[in-house]
Order: sequence, then C-alpha cells, then structure tokens
Amino acid sequence: MKYVAERLLHAVALLVAVSFLSFVLAQIAPGDYYTQLRGDPRILADTAVALRTHSGIDRPLPVRYAAWVGGILRGDFGYSLAYHAPVASILRQRTGNTLLLTGTATVLAWLVAVPLGVWSASRRGKWFDGASSVAVSILLSIPDLVLAIALLWLAVRTGWFPLGGKSSAAQSGWRDIAWHMILPVVVLVAGLAPVLVRHARASMLEVMDAGFALSARAQGIPRRRRFMRHLLPAALNPLVTLFGISLGTLLSESLLVEVVMGWPGLGPLFLEAIMARDFAIVLAVAMVSAGFLVLGNLAADLLLDRMDPRIRSGNA
Amino acid sequence: MSARRRVAIASGFLGLVLLPLPMAPILAPYPYAEQHREHPYEPPATIRLANARPYVETAGHRYPVRLFPGDGRLFGIDPPATIFLLGTDAYGRDVFSRMLYGGRVSLLAGLLAASLSLALGLTAGIAAGYFGGWTDRVLMRGGELVMSLPWLYLLLASRALLPLHIPPLEAILLPAALIGVLGWTRPARLIRGVILSGKERGFVQAARGFGAGHAYLIRRHLLPMTAGVVATQATILIPQYILAEMALSFLGLGVTEPVPSWGNMLTDARQYHALVLHTWLLAPGIAAVPVLLGFLLLAQAWHEKPSN
Amino acid sequence: MWLRFTLVFGWAAFAGLAASGDSLVVHGIAGRPGGTLVYAQRNAPKSLNPAIASDSASREVLHRIVADLIHINRATQLTEPALAKSWTVSPDGLHYVLELRRGINFSDGHPFDAGDVVFSFQVYLDPNVHSTQRDLLMLDGKPIAVRKVDSYKVAFDLPKPYAAAERLFDGFAILPRHKLEKPYRDGKLSEAWTMSSPPSEIVGLGPFRLKQFAAGERVVLEHNPYYWKVDESGTQLPYLAEVDFVLAGSEDMQVMRFQSGESDVISRVSAMNFSVLEKDRARRGYTLTDIGPGLESSVLFFNLDGNAPAGAYVRRESFRRAVSLAIDRDALVRLVYQGRAAAMSTPIPPGNRAWIDSKLPPIVRSIPAAKELLRADGFSWTSTGALLDPSGKPVEFSIVTSAGNTERVQMATLIQDDLKALGMNAHVAPLEFASLLNRVFETHNYEACLLSLSEGDADPNTEMAVLLSSSGNHLWHPSQKTPATPWEQEIDRLMEAQITERDRSQRKRLFDRVQEILMDELPLIPLVSPHLLVGARGEIGNFRPAFMDHYALWNIEELYWRNKDR
Repeated sequence: MKYVAERLLHAVALLVAVSFLSFVLAQIAPGDYYTQLRGDPRILADTAVALRTHSGIDRPLPVRYAAWVGGILRGDFGYSLAYHAPVASILRQRTGNTLLLTGTATVLAWLVAVPLGVWSASRRGKWFDGASSVAVSILLSIPDLVLAIALLWLAVRTGWFPLGGKSSAAQSGWRDIAWHMILPVVVLVAGLAPVLVRHARASMLEVMDAGFALSARAQGIPRRRRFMRHLLPAALNPLVTLFGISLGTLLSESLLVEVVMGWPGLGPLFLEAIMARDFAIVLAVAMVSAGFLVLGNLAADLLLDRMDPRIRSGNA
Repeated sequence: MSARRRVAIASGFLGLVLLPLPMAPILAPYPYAEQHREHPYEPPATIRLANARPYVETAGHRYPVRLFPGDGRLFGIDPPATIFLLGTDAYGRDVFSRMLYGGRVSLLAGLLAASLSLALGLTAGIAAGYFGGWTDRVLMRGGELVMSLPWLYLLLASRALLPLHIPPLEAILLPAALIGVLGWTRPARLIRGVILSGKERGFVQAARGFGAGHAYLIRRHLLPMTAGVVATQATILIPQYILAEMALSFLGLGVTEPVPSWGNMLTDARQYHALVLHTWLLAPGIAAVPVLLGFLLLAQAWHEKPSN
Repeated sequence: MWLRFTLVFGWAAFAGLAASGDSLVVHGIAGRPGGTLVYAQRNAPKSLNPAIASDSASREVLHRIVADLIHINRATQLTEPALAKSWTVSPDGLHYVLELRRGINFSDGHPFDAGDVVFSFQVYLDPNVHSTQRDLLMLDGKPIAVRKVDSYKVAFDLPKPYAAAERLFDGFAILPRHKLEKPYRDGKLSEAWTMSSPPSEIVGLGPFRLKQFAAGERVVLEHNPYYWKVDESGTQLPYLAEVDFVLAGSEDMQVMRFQSGESDVISRVSAMNFSVLEKDRARRGYTLTDIGPGLESSVLFFNLDGNAPAGAYVRRESFRRAVSLAIDRDALVRLVYQGRAAAMSTPIPPGNRAWIDSKLPPIVRSIPAAKELLRADGFSWTSTGALLDPSGKPVEFSIVTSAGNTERVQMATLIQDDLKALGMNAHVAPLEFASLLNRVFETHNYEACLLSLSEGDADPNTEMAVLLSSSGNHLWHPSQKTPATPWEQEIDRLMEAQITERDRSQRKRLFDRVQEILMDELPLIPLVSPHLLVGARGEIGNFRPAFMDHYALWNIEELYWRNKDR
C-alpha cells in the first residue's frame, strides 16, 4: 500500500513536470496560434498582435503557467483557441473513440499473439514453429504505414469497407461502428501482435530450458500440468511488463493509424493542434496520455511484484 | 539443423540482401539527382531478349543493354533509350538508382539510431534493475517523462535554430541522432524487467555470495539475459526509424532533396495517386521487407544459439 | 378526402407563407426537392460563429447556413441582390442605402429586419470582438459607419470613396439579434456558436440550418423551411433536404471517398488526383470538370529587406530578372500539374480575366539572355561554373517553402535544378507551415520563399495588402515606414489612386501600370497558376462550379438530384 501511495505521489510529480516542460517546449517552438493568420494577406498584421494580447498568450511563461494551474484546480482544463471552447468537451468524445479502437486492438492482439507464441515454443523446431516465425517476421518487416495505405486502396477498389469515420449516418448501431473499425484494428493488430508473439515465444523457450523445468520433467510430472502450473506462470513474467506498457500506450500508439485511416480519435485532433499551435489541446492530450502511461506502468510493476515473489523480497 | 548453421544461413541471406547497397555507385545506372524531365513517372522498362542479349526498344530502334559502359558502372544504355529498371519519379529520376543510394542512407542511419537507443536503453535498464532504489525511480520516472512530452515542439524549435541549409552529412545524421536519443525508454523498461527477475536467480545469488563485484555480475550473468530483448527490439527499431524519418522530413528535419533515403522516397510514394497510378514508387517500401526480414532472422538465429 | 384536401391546402398555404414576403426569384433553374448531398471536408470545422470563424473548413459549412446583404454571383462575377433587394449610392460615392426584403424570417421563424443588420455590423466592427473580418470594413484606418434608417432600410457611410464598395458586403453574414445580443452585451460573443452548441441556438438566413453534429466526424445540415429564395415555378429553395459534411482528414482521403461513392461533390482536386479520378470515371459515373486557371498563383520572392540574411545581390533587379528567365515554367506546368496549369506572365493570375494586363508578353525561358543580364551587371563565373556576385561572393541561397504541399516542394526542386544552369547554388528547405509563416512574416529570417497566393475576389482592392509598402503583408519587405525604393513608391501611389477611382476603365489603366512595374522590378517572380478541378456525381443537377470560394457549393440551394432514389 505504501508502495502504491508512493507511486501515486510520483505520478502527480510527473504530471507537474510534463505540464511545465510542455509549456517550455511550446514557448521555444517558432510561431504561435495566431501566426497562421499571416497566411491570409487580407488580415492586417496588427490583428494578430491584438489577438495575442486578447487571449493572453503573450504573457510571460510563469504567469501563464500559474494561470493554467489555477484553472486546473478549479476543474477548468484550458480553452482551445481554434475551437473557441473549453478543452474538456472537445477531448471527451475523442478520447472515448481512441480507447475503443486501441482497447479492441490490444485485446485482440493479446488473444491472438500469446497462444500463438506459446504454442510455437512448445512445438519448437517443427513445421508450425518455422511457418509462424516466418509469418511474424514478414509482418514485422512491413511498415505500418504501407499496410494502412494498401488496405485503404483495397477498400476503394472493392467497396467492401468504409473509408474512415466511425459511423455512416448520424445515429447508427454498434454493427455499423464495428464495420468502420475493421480496417484500423487490422493495422493496429498487425503492428502489435508480431512483437508479442516473439516475446511470448522467447520467454516460453527460456522457461522450457530452465533447470526447474527439466527437473520437473525428470520427475515425471505430466506435460499438461508441467505446462500450466510450472512453465506458463514463469513465462508470463516479461509479458506482464509488456502488458503494462501496452496499457500505458493505449492512447498514443494509434496516433498514426487514426490520422492515416480517418478514425475520429485523439490522433488527428492532437496532430492538428500541434501544427496549429493550439496549445491548450496539445497540453491536455499530453497530460491525459501521461496519466495513462503512469497508471499502465504502475499496474505492470504491481503485477510483476505479485507474480514473482523473489522480487518482492529483494525490493524494500 | 544446428544453431550455427541457422546463423550462417541467416547471415548469408542478410549479406546477399545488403550487398547491393554499398555497391550503389557501380550498380546504379544513373546518378541519384539526375532529372530526366522528358520521362516523368515512367513505368519500369521492358527489357526483351534477342539471342540471349537484353535490349530495350525505343522509337522503333533496339538499343542493347551495355555491360561496363565505361564510367565505372556495371550496366547502362545509349541515349535516347533509357533503362529505368524500376521506373522514374516526378522529376524523371531513376527509382532503382535512388533506391540503392537511399538504402545506404536509411540503413546506416537506422542502425545508428537503433544502436543509440539500445545503448542508452541497456545502460538505463541495467542500472535501474540492478541498483534499484533511487536510481530505479529516477530513471523510470525520467523515462515516463520523456515518453509523455510533445517532442514535436522541440523538433520544430530545433529546425528553427538550425541554419536553413543543412549540409548532406549532418542532414543524414541529425534525424538518426534525434530518434536514437528519444527512443531509449521502451528498451530500458523491458531490460529492467529482465534484470529485476534475473538478479534474483539462484546462480546470480550464489555468485554474489562468493564475492563477485557488480561489474562482473552484470557483464557475465545479467547482460546475456538481455540478449533476447535486445535482439527483438533492435529489429523493431530499424523500421521505426524509417517511419520516423518520414515524419521528420515533414518537419524539415529529414534527409533533404536531392539526397534520397527510403524515408523520403516513401513520403512521395505514400500519396494516393502514387499508389494507384505509379505503384513502382513503393519500391523502397517493398525492398525494406527482405532487408528487415534478414535482420530479424539473423537476430532470431543468433539468440537461439545458447539454448538448444 | 376532405382531410387530405385540407392537409394539402394547408401545406401549400404554409409553404406559400413561409416563402412569401419579398422572396428572391431565381431564374433559369428547375429541380426536384429532396435528397441528401454528402461533401467530404479536408479539415475539421472549428467554429460556426460568423464573426470569428476564419479557417476554410468552418467557412465551408458556415456559408451554407447564413446569408449576406449583397452577394457576388460566382458564375458572372457580378454583384446581385441578396438580403438587400435594392440599393442606392450617393453621387459622391460615400453613402449607400440598402433596402431590405420584407417578411423574411430566420431559420427559427423569428422575423428579420434592419435591427439585425445594424447589430451584425456593430459586432464585426467592435474591436473587442476581434473579428478577422473587421479589417475589411476599415478604410484608411477609419471604420464604415452603419445606421438604421427605418425598419427595412440601412445606411452605410464610407469615410472615403471606395471603388466597387458593394463587393464588400459579400461574405458578411447577418446575425440574429434575438439570439446573439445577450452574449454580445455580456462580452461572451466569441464563445457563442461553437461546435458543441445546441443546434437550436444557431440561427441564420441561409438555405440550410444546423441539424446535428458528431465531433470530429460530421456536421449535418437540413433544409431551412424559411429560406427566402424560390424558383420560377414557386418551389421554395433549397431543393436538397439535407447536406452532410463528413470529415475526410486529408486531400487523399477526400479523393478516395469521392471515388468510392461515399461523397458526392469534390472541389479543388490536385492535378495528380484528378488523373486518378479520370481513370475510374466510366466505372463510377461521376463528372469531372477542369474549369481552367483560377485565382491561385505561385510566386517566388526574395527577402528585399536591407537587414535580411540574403546577400545584397538579391536587391539587384538584374539578378531577379535572370532568375525569372532561367525558370522552366513549361516543366512546372507539365511535371507538377500534368499540364493543368497556366504559366504566368504577371503576378495577377490569368483566371482574373477582367483585370489582368494582357499586353504583357509571356516570359520566354532563355539561359543565354539571363547570363547576359548578369554579366552586364558585374556578375562573373568561376572556372567550375559557379556564379559570383559583383563583390566576388558566390551566389548561394535557400528557398523555403511549405513541406506539407507536395506541389510547391516539387516546384522548388525543379527551380533549384534550373538555376544550376546559371551557376547559382540554390537549396530547397521545406518547412512546416507555421514555422514558415513565422520565418517569412514575423522574424523575416529567410532568403527566398516560394508561396501560393490565393485571391478571394478578382478585384484589385484585394491586392492592397500585398502591394502597399507600408502593409505588414507586403511580402518581400513588410511594414516600410517610407517606401524603400522609387518603384514601390510609385506602386503605392497608383494603388491609392485606383481604390477611390470609380471609373472602371481608368482603374484598369492604373492597375495595368502597376502590373508593368511589377514585371520590370520582379519583387514577386510569377510561376504558374493551377487550374481549378472539381468533380460531382452525374445525377446532380445545376452543378455550376466557379473559381471563387466556394467553388462547387456556392449555389448549393440550386443543386438537386435528377434521379428519384436519392
């Protein structure tokens, strides 16, 4: 418990650091939100200056940071200059959309990858192992981007899949949403699963060759029980860390796929906000992602602790 | 098949796939920056055989493909015929030649970036896992911080600070260094996990009991445990580098025109019209597959050596 | 039977009432009501507030739900009555009195009158609102005054005569006083009508009204039952029942959606994607139209500010003329735009037929002539062919352009290669767009830049911001306190003269002279002007694309589906 409390304290410290450093980074990047007005020659140069003063983005950094912190404490997460609206309302739906996509993809990837990796290990050297190894390697070698674009092209040619978006008409059922999710989920799973398969297989192999495994075999323990009781739990150790990292990156790993395939999640919003220098949105997304990251890592560490008692006794 | 055999075969495959790249100045029929404005977006050349000698037909005449035409290149063809093996891009530049030269750039830079990330990741992961306590906390929280920040701002700022024209060598090394330095967090985390459980293993405890020092323990026992993770991560980092380079070129930080790299060639190929009308532009993306596959197979074979 | 008759009669009466008052009768169109039009947008709309929404995606949606007083017909380029049914101008050109249509209602049924017009312009002119359109209503730094004459007459007093002043009214949406006056008085107008406001709050006089939206996905508009335009047979416009703006996210996604049939209209397609669409046209059944050169133009310009990092040689007119002569504009048209562009001979795009100086000769590429110009001005070459300026420094510079725009990067790369023939060592530096704008307009830390200029309207008044030397948008040397060169001073004088000149042929003479000076001194080296390319489903009637904003949807109230099953 003390451990959890300590980690949560660290989490708060991290969020403070992320927020402050983000302010600093945004300050050193060239241009601000109103720079884009200069692209329209009909808007006078003075208008951009006036708008900067009006929105307060020309105030010194410490003043702005203090104002932001004050806002957070009142539950105000900032104001988007582009949307002229509070950030929280803009983020809410988009975050849900991203979590829907990555959650589904992560679950599917784990469901497919871990059994595949473990079974490959148990059939080491045989046909199945070799074939799956080659398939996994090929998938790993294909850049996500190329796969995404190839699938989009397929969708245009055949018309079997929709091209982006979450739903067809304004109100539609979960079937329609699922249909729209197919392509992005395929790309995400193709990116996540191969790595998992390899890690699962590698750790299973290590465990299979370990001393205790051989001795269990020598003792005549039946294969099934050996597998489930002795080998599998040990093999899952590194996978647990990986799972925590998966949770932690739920929000960030789909950014590219969402942008390329047109899924209305945080990805396109974040990218557009960075390019437009709409800092409030950038900061809010960074904070929410950081929050997820911290929670994911915390969960991973807690699980690791749980599963491997040797670590617990080693750590204070 | 013995593990050593497997390593040999994988190395051979990788060597074969990589061989053309350093030989680019010999194998490439055209310089990478040479524009042929009369032949934009030309499809790959059709080479026919007459008496087992290859030739290209242009404007009713047959032009034989010449071996060792004399300027140090392996093959070429007399003008006005052209031998664009993989077609041309928007400016009429030979895609095959650019792919060879670009492969050198991308692979070297990718290896550099991957090595940098892994070196930093190993150091951080081992330190955090082995020493625990404050070291662990600082490094892991630091890693989380690095992963959470909007780095694009820093990249934009660095582009603003750099001179407008970045000389070609720096332009190749800069994205590699940037991506390498920013990519240590995930390997570090995974390695830390391995070390954490590794250091509690029986034989490690025993060695400790015998008075082995930190350096010995790390080098002899713990480091080898990380081999699997390192190998897998290395093979992921190289394609990630190519992708990251595409993003960087959008910010003006990638390898600049007219120097080719697989990243900036794929940026052009990524557009819809390229995909549909000029599919040959995707050659670097397709060429990346056997290259990366070679690395993967080698890493896999090498890792399986001890456990047989 | 009686019931049905009453219903039909009642509906007709209601429809008649709804469209009664001073309706505008549109001639020459005949369509069937009903159907939904789907349009895929490149970017997400950010706001539906007419006073502050400045990005094109927001305006695409916004201009379908609001209306202005006097509108420029995109097909004829002439002004025509909109909410103002007629107007008078005083002899000195300083006073306009607009007569408004009577009996018109907003999309929620509330009546429209002069109070709404006065309120709207009060909002646009209020410096505290920071409307980006405010600058258009300022002449010489003084605002246009707006006053109510009676319930259906509004007077506009200009501080000085302004040529084609009625064109100013296009694009100024009339706001509902009954909805926005309270937020305005509370100082919260800029927070009104965001993408999360309830649809019933957003009220306008346009052909459609907001029905609903889903964040990051779509905005759905429905037929405005109170719209004040009818066709010749008395059918109330718009014909379409619904318009669905879906977010595609990028031009490529837009094209894919159109090609696969998920969207019905596409506008401003790039030349390469146009070729893709053409290949599939027979199979998919859409029409593609190449309207010809539009009002967009690409220019190359050098930083002529004395404090600039660029070498002093850029201020030599011979240098700029040589660069212009070395550029292979035909290659730009052929390679970058697949032939769908026009080489330019003046910085005014050829699509601006009314104002372009057709006496100016086309620019013929000539490396020898360029070299001669340079030689005569004291430039020289090393033995390896590198160009040296008169002081002996090698000529080397970087051309910045927008990394996100493939066409501009390609043009810069081709120009880089062209300039090698003169011995110039040019580099291409693609930058992210905001960084580019920051460098060029705010820190002025660049040597050469390749940009696209897009005119909102064909009238020369829209060029004032770029051509006046004191302007912050005077691209090559902004915000001059006094004109830095005699020719910039002359351009200032000519532009000031044409803005108050009401005789059109005299204005043309003045503007022609400006173009001649621009081509002599070449502060902006004109490159090419791309054609405007649009597409639409074959079954859409009254589709009349134009090269002013909004290219394909400007007459959305006239569009209809020819076949029944839409």
